[in-house]
Amino acid sequence: MYINGIGCISPQPTFNNQVFLEEIKEYNTNRIYCVDTDYSKFFDVTALRRMSRIVKYGTAAGLIALNDAGIKTPDAISTGTGYGLLELSQRFLRDFISTNEGVVSPTSFIQSTHNTVSSNIALLTACHGHNNTFSQKWFSLESALYDAQFLLKEGKQNVLVGTYEEIGEFNYASLMQTNDLQAEPCSNLAMFSQNNDGVIVGEGAAYFLMAHEQNTTTYCKLKAFKTAHNNENIEILLQEFLAKNNLRNADVDVVMNGMNGDKSNDAVFNTINKNLFEDATQLAYKHLCGEHMTAVSFAIYAIAQIFKQQQIPSTLVLKNAERESNVILLHNKYKSYHSFFIFEKC
Amino acid sequence: MGVYIAGKGVITSIGKNVEENFHSLLHSKSGIGKMEYLQSAYSETLPVAEVKFTNSELAEMAGVKFGSPRTSLLSTIAAKEAMENSGINFSKYRVGFISANTVGGMDNTEQRYKEFLIDKTGAQLTGVLQHDCGTITEIAAEALQINGFVTTISTACSSSANSIMYAIRLIEAGVLDVVVAGGADSLSRFTLNGFNALMILDKKPCTPFDENRNGLNLGEGAAYIVLASERVMQEQNKEKKFFVSGYANANDAFHQTASSPEGKGNYLAMTQALAKSGLQKEDISYINLHGTGTGNNDVSEGTAIQRIFSKVPPASSTKSFTGHTLGASGSVEAVYSLLGMEHGLIFPNLRFATQMKELNFKPVTELVKDVELNHVMSNSFGFGGNCSSLIFSKYKK
Amino acid sequence: MEELIATLKTQIVEQLNLQHLKAEEIGTDQPLFGEGLGLDSIDALELIVLLQQKYGIKLADPTEGPKVFQTVRSMAEYISSHKAA
Repeated sequence: MYINGIGCISPQPTFNNQVFLEEIKEYNTNRIYCVDTDYSKFFDVTALRRMSRIVKYGTAAGLIALNDAGIKTPDAISTGTGYGLLELSQRFLRDFISTNEGVVSPTSFIQSTHNTVSSNIALLTACHGHNNTFSQKWFSLESALYDAQFLLKEGKQNVLVGTYEEIGEFNYASLMQTNDLQAEPCSNLAMFSQNNDGVIVGEGAAYFLMAHEQNTTTYCKLKAFKTAHNNENIEILLQEFLAKNNLRNADVDVVMNGMNGDKSNDAVFNTINKNLFEDATQLAYKHLCGEHMTAVSFAIYAIAQIFKQQQIPSTLVLKNAERESNVILLHNKYKSYHSFFIFEKC
Repeated sequence: MGVYIAGKGVITSIGKNVEENFHSLLHSKSGIGKMEYLQSAYSETLPVAEVKFTNSELAEMAGVKFGSPRTSLLSTIAAKEAMENSGINFSKYRVGFISANTVGGMDNTEQRYKEFLIDKTGAQLTGVLQHDCGTITEIAAEALQINGFVTTISTACSSSANSIMYAIRLIEAGVLDVVVAGGADSLSRFTLNGFNALMILDKKPCTPFDENRNGLNLGEGAAYIVLASERVMQEQNKEKKFFVSGYANANDAFHQTASSPEGKGNYLAMTQALAKSGLQKEDISYINLHGTGTGNNDVSEGTAIQRIFSKVPPASSTKSFTGHTLGASGSVEAVYSLLGMEHGLIFPNLRFATQMKELNFKPVTELVKDVELNHVMSNSFGFGGNCSSLIFSKYKK
Repeated sequence: MEELIATLKTQIVEQLNLQHLKAEEIGTDQPLFGEGLGLDSIDALELIVLLQQKYGIKLADPTEGPKVFQTVRSMAEYISSHKAA
């Protein structure tokens, strides 16, 4: 599969594909929200008035990716989201609870279903093709990528794949209670140097126009990917994955790690980087977008840009081996959710 | 390489397993009635189709910890039945669990959120993070001891039809050998109040495809089928009886909640499923309608069917038994379609009285026996224009 | 009546989140749906909620909607004739 277009809205100003992490936002909090763009460029006023934050940036990021690839209507759309549309779900909950199930406005309910964003893109692009939405925690994007892979094999020319996630007040409060977050205040940019417990929670949306064929807009090739839901033998699984794709450890020029600043989560990366990828350039990304169930999409956005722009912004670099980026390995992880991806230069 | 149906399991308001569901379908016993288990201000005014067990009874049946969301309990019970029914020795294979749901752990979240609204810092919020749809699937997968690829689809009312499609593709692509596919959804005040706000809930038991239909009734349930590769069927000495010959997912791209009057998405899903199966439209022996009983759905679906089939095959909506089980409905109706094929039966569309003026056909109203069903189409359409159709076929050597 | 019409316009803007409009920009006899203000079936439901929440009037049958919600004036007339005395 090729990535022929990208669109990303995140806690960094990433909505313009012409620039690549030139301006970096520093936050001193354990929750980081999206930097918004001007959504009136994407939606007319009548549509805009009903859209919650995630519907706006979730839909706009998809449209950016399509535009980037020069495609008006994709053959199919497949998306992933861990928690779905939290804000609207919570608004509707509040409405019917506070009225004791009285008269409530239906709009927030209508837009609270997980498939709201993907069907909204279908509506705006007149896409009558396959439309799917997955919700599997840290494997939501990977599930949608399988879907795209199958459809491309069946003859579709392209599939718009993407993810969207938002921080809801209620979920944030629960994360605080379960001690999953870093104590405030904390700088996102100092995340990897402080030996912290807990993460900074983030949000965002990123889309990729996955295509069967390479063309002038192509960023890179997604050669293979795999999920593993356990913490045992990850090093072995990773090597098996590389071997299955005819790669040796030394072939990996760049490795993008899913470390999130929580020392118990990140320990494994230190071992793997030392044992397998000592000579590779080592990158990390979650200080820019925060941890969330579909944060991995931000990494794919960044990898696609690395190939296209032929440069690696210093904010991503943990260790620079000064190698040309031909093969990039992405190893995402949250607790026992691991996924591996291999990207190749075209 | 073929993919075959090796087992099935279901729990709904008309029975806790396949046998009980079959018995109710055979005797026109509807599960729609007064609300007894869900706690709601509408308990006297809105009928629902409840699974007649408390959460603790369901937890016991499922072998899952009490306190887990109701959807996960229903999911585990039906999936367990499907796996046992298949008789497959799963330990030898790469096994997947593809489940659909739309409400997640909303039943628990509702309670916590109520406390949160009163006291933002004092409320006990542990468990809230488990309200997502994926957790439901993981709870069930753990109870079922499925360690392979597990995922959840959430495309409103077409969700579990999409699970079945995805499962077939996973097997065809060689990612997995055998997959338990379907979906689950429990009743919640969230969905009840939502559909009520949309003014599409019938205050009486629903009457799908009737001129005087007045909306849908919400139901709950779960259903799964076991899909296995050719190799698994051979190695396990399973007779190849049924398979999914055609399937398609299309989008209406018309409006967030309403279907286009001509049912464009419905039309595309049905025609593309037919094309995939390689069958002629005359080959379809029965259609299990989406048939929710809302004004909008039934006219769009009926119009699209009429456009495709010059002679409309026998059709009925079994939602007149089970209510609309949302994310579970596609797989519940898949199990019913298979039951009909197995026993040569067409289950009736209950309470039908008057033919819709827009349509030239009416649904089957009495149980039809001794009928050869070779190919059955099952429709699942939903919010967001998500339209899916499946075609189940008898395997002939 | 004029007062009710003015209030209603403000309430419509608020209920339907018509951020791009000022209440006084809505014509009293301008069609709310279709070619007029361009409202849709979800807005119709929101207007039903408005009637119930602000005026205690229950529009039990949604098919009544198109008639009642033709224009701001028709809504106002419906309200004044149905408002609990």
